[in-house]
Amino acid sequence: MTEEYYPWGGEFTACSPHGCIAVVLLNIQYTPPKDVAIYGPLKTENIGVEKIVANTISNPFIRFLVVCGDDIRGHRSGSSLLALHKNGIDANHRIIDAPGAIPYIENLKEDAIKRFQKQLSVVNLIGVQEKEKIDATIAQCMKKLPPSYGEPYIAIRIKPESSVSLTDKRALHSKIVLNYLGKVQERGE
Amino acid sequence: MFSFTKEQKVYDISGVSIGGQPGMYPTVLFGGVFFKGEPDFEDAKKHLRVMLELSTRTGTPTIPDFFIRKVEYIDPIISFIEKNLPHKHPFSVDIIEPTIKIETLQTLAEKKLLFRTIYNSIHVGITREEQESLKKFTPEMVIVVAFNPKDSSPDGKIEVLENGAHLTERGLLDIARGIGFEKILIDTAALAPGENSGAALAAIPVIKEEYGLPTGCAIHNVVEKSKWLNDYPFAKKTVDVASNCSIPLFGGDYALFGPVQNAELVVPLIAWQDILVSEYTENYFGICPVAFHPRRKLLK
Repeated sequence: MTEEYYPWGGEFTACSPHGCIAVVLLNIQYTPPKDVAIYGPLKTENIGVEKIVANTISNPFIRFLVVCGDDIRGHRSGSSLLALHKNGIDANHRIIDAPGAIPYIENLKEDAIKRFQKQLSVVNLIGVQEKEKIDATIAQCMKKLPPSYGEPYIAIRIKPESSVSLTDKRALHSKIVLNYLGKVQERGE
Repeated sequence: MFSFTKEQKVYDISGVSIGGQPGMYPTVLFGGVFFKGEPDFEDAKKHLRVMLELSTRTGTPTIPDFFIRKVEYIDPIISFIEKNLPHKHPFSVDIIEPTIKIETLQTLAEKKLLFRTIYNSIHVGITREEQESLKKFTPEMVIVVAFNPKDSSPDGKIEVLENGAHLTERGLLDIARGIGFEKILIDTAALAPGENSGAALAAIPVIKEEYGLPTGCAIHNVVEKSKWLNDYPFAKKTVDVASNCSIPLFGGDYALFGPVQNAELVVPLIAWQDILVSEYTENYFGICPVAFHPRRKLLK
């Protein structure tokens, strides 16, 4: 399995395709053992969290999400990820009880979030920096030899409705037009 | 190079003007003062001096953007601003944690510095407490970040400004005006590659034509997040600095160019870019550059 297997891309390292653990790194220089499935840093409490959800549920062998290191100041991305797993999102797509600044999940369907909650068990190591402790937790999870969750769930990005097709040769955007000199004006004026 | 039909607002903060038709006022550069661990004020002082000297020489205005990440750094950083920035020189404060934002506002008010302060920033994550605090202690100017987690296109950015895109009760512009801000800058929210990073630039002329408000962004963030460039370290620096040129080319008014340490490269580069823009916009649109514009200052 290559990194292309994880459809949403991102700043991660793919290791063992049948590994049962994904490791989320928060402000920590740590390299997990190579038999985990995937590991990488988390920075933002919205797009970053979405990528973790989409990329973990696409590999049904991943059953544990180990979140370690010190949470990101202000963004509180690690705690927001944990809150998503525990509480899901409200009607405004805000992660319920997430402490981050902008904890909104806008590009994933509810089904994807439910799948994330069911497929993965979260191991909260926020605040833990010691390599030995994290290694030991990962080893404990691996010993459990959890079965695959079944079929991969390939999350489709919810597309914004604003994409338009314009026929103007000098079109910059649906709201404005540009003449040959560079004068901008609202379309239709 | 553009000119806009909509009337373009120009806002002044302590002698620095931001906004207007492209080519009239020079692009304003915000240099980030970040401290990793304990603040090293001696180092910051040195780099700020260089940035401000370059401003004087080129005509490109620069504003330091202070990143405050811990409560215990509020007092020392604000004292540093008081003692080391030229009298009345504007500055911005960039804070993520809502509680630190609120405490910083109070300190700025106590020290009577709000008239020089640009609040960086208001976004869809604004809390009720933050709004209350801002009503009580209102800085002179605010940056409103048009980040829409659902739709990163220019339309999505306009949606959060206009109606909050269901993330806030009202549009961000309404919220900012409701607080009492009269001088509003729009940040088009540059995102990582793969996240419609180009939309931050495309949104500049769209937002300027829609609202006439001064608009810019931190386009260099896209370079920072382009991990593939790590394989080309020499080019990476060049790309980081050069990325800022796109902002005035797209009609933008200001750039948050990253660490103040890059000022030596970015300030002359933007002065050069502003001269190009000004030459064209004066020729075709009759936009005269102001007296302190780099074109007047540097071309003899």
